[in-house]
Amino acid sequence: MVGSYAMPGWLERLKTEYFARRISRHDLDEIYDAAAKAAIKDQEIAGLDIVTDGEPRRDNMVDYFVERLPGVQIDRSSKKFYYDFYDSVVQGKLPMASLGLVPDFNFLQTFTERQTKICITGPHCLSKRIRNQYYPSEEALATDIAKVMNLELKALVKAGAKYIQIDEPYYSGFPEDLPWCVKVLNTMVEGVDAKIAVHICYGNRYGKPSWEGSYRYLFPTIMEAKVHQLTLEFARRGGEDLDLFKEFNTNFELGVGVIDVKTDDIETPEMVADRIQKALKVLPPERIFILPDCGLFHLPRDVAFAKLKAMVEGTRIVRKELGR
Amino acid sequence: MIVKLNHLQGKAAATSAQDVIGTVYTLLEEGHIEKAQFARLQIELDWIQYKQNFREVVIATHGYNEQGQQVPIMDVHVDTRQVVPGCLRAALLRALAHSNAPEPQNQDRLPLEQFQSMRTSIVWEFNKLYWSRLKDWEMATGKGYEQALPGGQSDGHNPEAIADSVTDFWTLLRDLESKNQLPPEIYLLEIGVGTGTRCGMWLTQFRGVDQERGTDYYPKLRVLLGDYSLATLDMSRPAVEEHADLCSFLVLDAMNPLKTLSFLRHKIMQVHTTNVYDNLPDEEVVRRDGKLYFVQVRAYVPMAEVVRLSTEFDIPPDKLRGTVSRLLSGSTDFLGDPERGVAFWMQLWNAMRLEERLVLVEDLPDFPFPQGLDAGKVEDVLKEAPSDFRFHLSSGALASFLNTLPLLHPRGYLQVQDIFVTDLDQYRLGFYGPGKLDGSLLNWVNGALLKEVAERAGYNVRFAPFHYRKGSRTSVLYTTRRE
Repeated sequence: MVGSYAMPGWLERLKTEYFARRISRHDLDEIYDAAAKAAIKDQEIAGLDIVTDGEPRRDNMVDYFVERLPGVQIDRSSKKFYYDFYDSVVQGKLPMASLGLVPDFNFLQTFTERQTKICITGPHCLSKRIRNQYYPSEEALATDIAKVMNLELKALVKAGAKYIQIDEPYYSGFPEDLPWCVKVLNTMVEGVDAKIAVHICYGNRYGKPSWEGSYRYLFPTIMEAKVHQLTLEFARRGGEDLDLFKEFNTNFELGVGVIDVKTDDIETPEMVADRIQKALKVLPPERIFILPDCGLFHLPRDVAFAKLKAMVEGTRIVRKELGR
Repeated sequence: MIVKLNHLQGKAAATSAQDVIGTVYTLLEEGHIEKAQFARLQIELDWIQYKQNFREVVIATHGYNEQGQQVPIMDVHVDTRQVVPGCLRAALLRALAHSNAPEPQNQDRLPLEQFQSMRTSIVWEFNKLYWSRLKDWEMATGKGYEQALPGGQSDGHNPEAIADSVTDFWTLLRDLESKNQLPPEIYLLEIGVGTGTRCGMWLTQFRGVDQERGTDYYPKLRVLLGDYSLATLDMSRPAVEEHADLCSFLVLDAMNPLKTLSFLRHKIMQVHTTNVYDNLPDEEVVRRDGKLYFVQVRAYVPMAEVVRLSTEFDIPPDKLRGTVSRLLSGSTDFLGDPERGVAFWMQLWNAMRLEERLVLVEDLPDFPFPQGLDAGKVEDVLKEAPSDFRFHLSSGALASFLNTLPLLHPRGYLQVQDIFVTDLDQYRLGFYGPGKLDGSLLNWVNGALLKEVAERAGYNVRFAPFHYRKGSRTSVLYTTRRE
């Protein structure tokens, strides 16, 4: 999984009910726990090796972190619908304090025996959404966010996290930022003893891309990133950019997106296997992880589940061919 | 009794209203209206915007629950513009008698269908017939369909509007090029091409701007002209002849362009449509006393017209329904002579009426809302709406809108030139359709609802008045990506 699982319509309505103060925080938390357990179970039944909590607690990939970042002020009346972004602003130096993500990780660990992954929205993305009224530049704001998050990553590792993904979809929208983005990324992961993946896609807001283009902009700058894995979308966009991994000699593992999350059409296992085979032409199997293109947030639950099953079955076809 | 005068225009309104109120009181005193009925009665005057419409001068509409039992609400609608002096009492009595009579005793009309949602009514089959047999209709009337439009031509052809549209689009391409994001092929789609005039004018204007500014965008354009009528597509070809190398003609369902064009998902830079949404299947909902009622309709021909058509076209009255079916199968020579066939079609269409009933929506979450709508969204929209009003669900427009958005490139946009109710408060002042426009149907589009649905689909919608023609009621809907 890249991170999120399908957001059920009933949960969307209950989130909105909470905003309208028709249900309590306590009830909402219980609802979130139930939704997370269901998401974990679906992933297990689909046959995934590594699972997330499905992220039902997150209204979107930004607000969950903006709410937790110390020193960021939020206008709570700025949302009409739960999925909207809060209007947020930073007016002073960010203090170092916990984001409180460890309980989410502990919950996940409690309800699965599988390997786990926790996903965190990266500093570049957050710096694009928070109005900066203090720092001299976006880079300076992102660097301080990275320092706060570095503490959080270390806390997660202490709690047992072995695989952490940093989500940075805005790289593709602002390729000119990449040189400083990599520096910020390295600040964030410094001394963090876990497998670190960076997920870079072309956006998935409302289930549609925010930008188009080629991953060529990532190279060679991204090669300076002190991370273990790049998680990229290839299913929707086709596998042309896989050749970049031939052209540039990197040590990264590659999280290969083989499921298009922007359509309800369900891939066949054979389609998935074909996409994996394309990746195997540029990297050895031990450096390849199989994932959807991005989070499954916008898909109906039955479609998301069927897509995960197809992903697992397609992977099994290839494993069999490889004799694994 | 509540009398709604909101739609009346001008000084004559007071006199019209007095006539209606006086007549209704008389009918109450004479016992034609029961006291309990009178207490709940709502009378709307001149609620129909279009003079060419599907209603009698007076209609009485009852409410029903889902089990088909009458509930104690009744609306009476009076089109005072069509009341013949001295005939109001008779028209009111006729409407009340019809609405109170058990079904088998209603001998004053020939129903063409069962009561059902407007969106599935037979009237849309007539609409489809019109567009597929447009040439026959135009030949019979001796005028092109655009002459029926206000101003005698489509707002889609306005040169100034086209010039502005071209400039906006060129600017977008320039911006994409400056960011190295210009696609190698630039797709544009027009849904509902009409005569092709707009598309031809737009391309000529764009080519000029492109040449003048020394950019090389024009050869990269891939223009898709889409329409559900092959006849219309054929008709549009000459208008884009000089740009033929860039153009492709596609038969597509305006309500689901994605079905035909899914290979262009997230690739189209501009989708344009003029006066298409107002001609797509629609249905209506009434909010009364805090409850929602779904409007069911039934097309019929008044018995006097049945007799007249029967005599003129030598069709026995009991064969009229069968003749209508043959007409709708697409042929006009079913009367042995195509001209007679078209004449029958035109007269039948002119005579056709819609009766209606209100069905209580008892279980909102399970109500079969059109694509893109659910109980939650409707409730959100209604929070800001008048407490007692009638509105369009714009089902066809919603479907078209939602099945077009996924085609848009991340920087692409949808531009819809049409007649929109942009604020639900507007329904207090007018009803906005359905009307008859030649052989086609016309409904204003519930833009307020479209806006709500668009927001949940990731787009902001704004409406700009079409300022290029004085007195135009057209607005232009623009989408922008919602962050």
